[in-house]
Amino acid sequence: MSSTISDIYNFDLPQLTRIAHAGHVKRCLSGLPDSQVDVDSGRMALAFYCIGSLDLLKMVQDKISSSDRESWREWIWEQQTSGKYGAGFRPGPFMSTGPSSTSTYTDYDTPHIIMTYTALLTLAILRDDFSRLDKRGMLVLLKSCQREDGSFSTVPGSVSGETDLRTLYCAFVISHLLNDWSGINVDRALSFIASCRSYEGGYGQTTYCEANGGTTYIAMAAIHLAPVPSVPLTPSEKRKTIEWAIHKQLQSGGFCGRTNKVADACYCFWIGGSLKILGAASFIANCQFKFGGIAKAPGEHPDPYHTYLSLAALSMFPLDDAHSTSFASSWVFEPLDPLINARQETAEWARKYIAIR
Amino acid sequence: MSSPTTSAPEPPRYADRPEWSDVIPVEQYENVNPLAPIFYKDIYKDAADYFRGIVKTGEKSQRVLDLTERIIRLNPAHYTAWQYRYETLLAIEADLEDELRLMDELAITYLKTYQVWHHRRLLMLKIRKPATELVFIAKTFREDAKNYHTWSYRQWLLAYFNDDSLWSGELDFVDELLNADIRNNSAWHHRFFTVFQSGVRDGEQDTERILRRELIYVKQSISLAPNNASAWNYLRGILDHNGIPYSKMIAFVQPYTLPNDDQKADLVDLDNPPPSKDAHLPCAAAVEFLADIYEAEGGDSMLKATELWKSLGNEHDVARKKYWEYRIREGLRAIQT
Ligand SMILES: [Zn+2]
Repeated sequence: MSSTISDIYNFDLPQLTRIAHAGHVKRCLSGLPDSQVDVDSGRMALAFYCIGSLDLLKMVQDKISSSDRESWREWIWEQQTSGKYGAGFRPGPFMSTGPSSTSTYTDYDTPHIIMTYTALLTLAILRDDFSRLDKRGMLVLLKSCQREDGSFSTVPGSVSGETDLRTLYCAFVISHLLNDWSGINVDRALSFIASCRSYEGGYGQTTYCEANGGTTYIAMAAIHLAPVPSVPLTPSEKRKTIEWAIHKQLQSGGFCGRTNKVADACYCFWIGGSLKILGAASFIANCQFKFGGIAKAPGEHPDPYHTYLSLAALSMFPLDDAHSTSFASSWVFEPLDPLINARQETAEWARKYIAIR
Repeated sequence: MSSPTTSAPEPPRYADRPEWSDVIPVEQYENVNPLAPIFYKDIYKDAADYFRGIVKTGEKSQRVLDLTERIIRLNPAHYTAWQYRYETLLAIEADLEDELRLMDELAITYLKTYQVWHHRRLLMLKIRKPATELVFIAKTFREDAKNYHTWSYRQWLLAYFNDDSLWSGELDFVDELLNADIRNNSAWHHRFFTVFQSGVRDGEQDTERILRRELIYVKQSISLAPNNASAWNYLRGILDHNGIPYSKMIAFVQPYTLPNDDQKADLVDLDNPPPSKDAHLPCAAAVEFLADIYEAEGGDSMLKATELWKSLGNEHDVARKKYWEYRIREGLRAIQT
């Protein structure tokens, strides 16, 4: 057992095939086969994973034509809609019957909190000036989506919205970027986060649920984004959460999302720990798909979600110098802002230009 | 299409069905340069066009159930189709138990889709018969005993309806799942939820007895399979929850930190079951646990803790070597200040 472990430490990283990964997400942006029709009600998030991957690879400004960037921005702005529950972005035009700027939305074509978060980040990547942003409408949307227990539903006013920590996190990032928390009851939201904490030290997707890597990251980021100077975690709770996360790393160097589950590339980001301390880079290397793009596990098909999160993990935790490899430069990334999940320069742009609207 | 392996032929498009001729289909509006467009299959585009047409007129009728079912089967993540379907069911006062039976099939087919479970939850708020639901969920666990949505739905049912008869079978149920897979962390989590959280019943305030029962349970489980993070987490969880110092477990934990040949002869001690004969020892989780005991004692014991961390980093848990080095540094700093 221990011999395989030392192999991981001496692992000579192959090249990170940056061009191929960029090619994978660019293909997705130009069109998806019908087999991915379930993305129809989540296209904005897919666009974020694709354009976000290009941003982490530093290809947006010089490798994408300005007319492409322009038309992407136009598509995103077309999804901003306003109406009785406030304003925000919808997932895409799957329920749209006409231009969004000329009329208010119906109950079946409302904006969506997660899509609003991904739209703001994508527009920041595209260096939009946010002059078209309906800031006041967005604060109303947040208010419409928060429930009694402090959680947020993805869409307002209906019975169909999911309410879990992911939506709460997106609502927090939106408020943080707007630099205005008046749309949220923060205390109630923080107590919802606390109710998701499990005896293992991680956080579940909603109250009573099993601890999971994605939602634990989200809980930590949300607690740090919160504007109130409260300390919702005691030192011993904090330590327990760190220990829980540390133990999600497996022999392969990869991370799993829950205790006793198999590794998945996206948990390198979610659990993170740190590639620097723990050497998970080799796991991501093994997940590279030979035709470009990164998959959840070795041998599986790539997708923009796992591509983005793997690159984001590399940006968050730069490789150790000990990993001297002939392909070292292919593994170098610019720093990532872990709280809002965007390249630092993009995050700075977002904070600057969204807040002034 | 003539191949014998193809399943049922595609159903006719709504555009070709005379009984739908009164509905005006509405195309998806998209400006000139779509981002990540989906190349819809004809049958999906047809159904979606008619769905937008129906939503525009606000029609809620039996045929809307047919239309939304087709969309859901093609794209179960289409949350608007689910939403409209639910509103239609209520508007036409459809038999919700029939709907639930249809959902039995869809839940298995689309086990990982959130909407399937959310819809079920909405139905159950109206039907209010949670007991049979627990049976149904147990059946889905044969497909996937760690499905997050299913567990979340079960926990919601129990906590929301919260009656004694509903809870009464939960521990046996967990036991059955753990017998099938002792490493099923979802089942361990559910045990905690049942014993220490929402499942606490009136008259179970005798926490001493329950705590003792749970400690015996988890120790027995560890003795059968020592290298099981779920069981160790459960042990730590119940100690933390009940404010019991880890040091109370030292007699139990110690044998698991020693190599196989150092094990003492059998003593039948229910409180401290020894590792099974074929266990892979020393067990890293036990070494870590013992180190935590020494660390909490502080003083001279801290050096014993650092020795154990060193053995984890060098031998028993090399993958986390840097983490154990960090613990050693922190531990030593704590006793120097
Ligand atoms: Zn994944």
